[in-house]
Amino acid sequence: MTGKFHKLLGMGMTALVALSMSTAIAPSAMAQEKTLTIRFYDDPAGFDPANIFRIENENIAFNIFSGLTTYDGETGEIVPDLATSWETTDNKTWTFKLREGVQFQKGYGEMTAADVIYSFNRIKDPQTASPYAAELEGIVSMEAPDPYTLIIELDAPNGNFLHTVANYHQGQIVSQKAIEEAADQVRWQPVGTGPYYLDSIDVSSRIVLKRHEDYYKGPAPIETLVFNIIKDEATATIALRNGEVDLMMRANQEENLATLEAAGFTMNSVMDYAVALMVLNTEFEPFADPRVRQAVAHAVDFEAISQAIAPSLQQAYHSMLMPWMAVYTDDIPKYTYDPERAQALLEEAGYPDGFTFKNLSTSAQGVTEVQQFQIDYLSQVGINMEMELVDTPTFNQRRNAGEFDTATRLLPAVNPDMILFSFLHPDNLVPNGLNGARYDNPEVTSLLEAARAEPDADTALDLYTQVQQIVAGDLPYIPMYANNVYWPGKPEVTGVHINYLAQVDFWSVDITE
Amino acid sequence: MVEYAAKKALQMFVTVLGVVTLVFFTLRLIPGDAASAMAGDTLSGEALERLRAQLGLDEPLPLQYLGYLQSLALGDLGETITTRIPIADLLFRALPITLSIALATIVVAVLLSIPLGTLAAFMVHKGRRWLDNALTGAAMLIDLMPPFWTALVLLLIFSLGLGWFPASGQLNWNDPGSVALRLALPVIVLSLSQVATLARITRTAVLDVLNEDYVRTARSLGWSELRVLFRHALKNAALPIATVVGLSFGNLLGGTVIVEFIFTIPGVGNLLITGINSRDYQLVQTLIVVYALIFVLINFSTDLIYRALDPRVKF
Repeated sequence: MTGKFHKLLGMGMTALVALSMSTAIAPSAMAQEKTLTIRFYDDPAGFDPANIFRIENENIAFNIFSGLTTYDGETGEIVPDLATSWETTDNKTWTFKLREGVQFQKGYGEMTAADVIYSFNRIKDPQTASPYAAELEGIVSMEAPDPYTLIIELDAPNGNFLHTVANYHQGQIVSQKAIEEAADQVRWQPVGTGPYYLDSIDVSSRIVLKRHEDYYKGPAPIETLVFNIIKDEATATIALRNGEVDLMMRANQEENLATLEAAGFTMNSVMDYAVALMVLNTEFEPFADPRVRQAVAHAVDFEAISQAIAPSLQQAYHSMLMPWMAVYTDDIPKYTYDPERAQALLEEAGYPDGFTFKNLSTSAQGVTEVQQFQIDYLSQVGINMEMELVDTPTFNQRRNAGEFDTATRLLPAVNPDMILFSFLHPDNLVPNGLNGARYDNPEVTSLLEAARAEPDADTALDLYTQVQQIVAGDLPYIPMYANNVYWPGKPEVTGVHINYLAQVDFWSVDITE
Repeated sequence: MVEYAAKKALQMFVTVLGVVTLVFFTLRLIPGDAASAMAGDTLSGEALERLRAQLGLDEPLPLQYLGYLQSLALGDLGETITTRIPIADLLFRALPITLSIALATIVVAVLLSIPLGTLAAFMVHKGRRWLDNALTGAAMLIDLMPPFWTALVLLLIFSLGLGWFPASGQLNWNDPGSVALRLALPVIVLSLSQVATLARITRTAVLDVLNEDYVRTARSLGWSELRVLFRHALKNAALPIATVVGLSFGNLLGGTVIVEFIFTIPGVGNLLITGINSRDYQLVQTLIVVYALIFVLINFSTDLIYRALDPRVKF
């Protein structure tokens, strides 16, 4: 018995010694190989730019691909990417000068104007069935007089075309050869010109990206990016605190933020990333009257609500556009908390006793604290807000069909012109587009069209300002609050700049000792 | 026996066909589809219709159903709608993980609950109730705690506090030790409620038997208490216990869905949640059929075990 025990003990000791030796050797080998582990919060659904949907997948694609332009991580401004410069005189003919010597990943050769033409044509091709085809519809012709020059002709002037060709969905450049070789597996075999390439995917578990050694700006500091899929935020927080992950993509719980900050993690963030709108269906009778819509805005103290519930994650907001957008103006009507004014407006509009409406919402979140406050505030001026909770796909379907009195929408913070057109132009009334309020004001429509066509920046700004002023008065959408995005990380992880699409260019990220 | 097995197989076939049909149509009755789930905030109108057509969601329902039955009959599980990954590949990776968790849980639960339950029954029989009371109290407490909550508490204590188990990370089968550490907490969470249930069932079953005449006879023959307990009482109490263990295994598959989500384990439960959220009909219906098959197979084997335990049982 004792002999056996000693034998076992001996074996255990040998194993321990071997283990400690292997860990002793490991650090020196690790010193050169930098790996960053990031918490990813959803399943990968594929990275073919023509068919990407979820923002999480877009975060990966953003690092695999490049566009002619991209968004600056700190200012949100459009900056050169694959194009070094561009020219236009009338917003209709755009000439891009492309960067020379840009290499595709995995040995697919140099990127030239022909690849750009192929990429855009691929999105436009009905065979691809890309949901982003409409974004490129305005392109009439594309020419490449030489490999580094691209001339794009549009059917109508578009002063915001640089957003269209940015490193986002339809703007991401693919290699024809790689696409043809991957056939129906494009989404799992993406090849781009970005700082990282896709190395492996383990569904429901992790995604691994490796550094693109021939990236045109030079290789990124970190060799390997491991995206660990951890859906539950509480678990993700524990994993970060345990050191299992270095960086946590998207922390959305106020209490977690405070804990992590107190524990010494760097709270990488971007403020005012997007605005949450209350969409008022103007076909629902009371909301047809702008005074009723204004009354709702005056009746709810969004400032106090944000402060009470999520002071880090959101703040009360007043506009459909964000302050960092080029055409934003602050010179618009604003609605401070004023229940008396709300009551007076309701009386003027013929609803002295208020009315009842239903707010469509997802059961995924239940009745949120914001909504509970909203219900309470509105009841004080006689408006009865009832909650209608459905699951997320149902919510999306009904919201897209316009089947609601009110609903919420988070505005995509990309292209100010696209936001205004989609939400205010009558061509985009639901179910054809995103104009869920069914807002149709001929004056706004003509201003929008004129602004898009206007080549002179100052005049265009003036037109966009007028649009924002009229709409803030009409108020088909009530801006409730602006959201902030957090990616808490270990202090030694540096260079995490979240841009206004909530994406991080990992080329600038490093781990310092 | 052969006739019995054939009859059972036919029953299983009908049951599974019923599940396939029911799942196929109820899934499509739920509003929203894969296209609108994918579209989220970004798509509407024509673009959404284009996507719907691309995903094959615009085909007539009876055609989709027949196509699905045909491919199932050919053993083809199809691809997911949203990612185009063959579902067989996904299952091949996920099923062993989920089954490992469920099996480990049953083993742990049986090893703990049967001695505990037997001992409790024995002590009650002898007029000492403290273990029984403690067991009943603990079982009630455990039943009151929802598994997701227990999971988080255990994570806080054993993962964050003591650092014994990781909260996340890949399951690397080349390193069985790391897999065991990774699966330990989920197994503990699931075992807790199983132990509570099984121990109580065992206790009742054993207690019933202890009052039977043949136990009294055995005792009067001068057999030791232990021999009476294990040779007679437990053996005869095994029948109801086996049934409950079989049922528990089926229920466990439901429990794994929650723990897999919280502990981010890439098992079938995690796939199912993903499938439901993205309205991936193909994925969800296939997974549910797999669950149904497992359930039916377990019932089948429980019946066989039943007969082995008690030859009097007639089919």
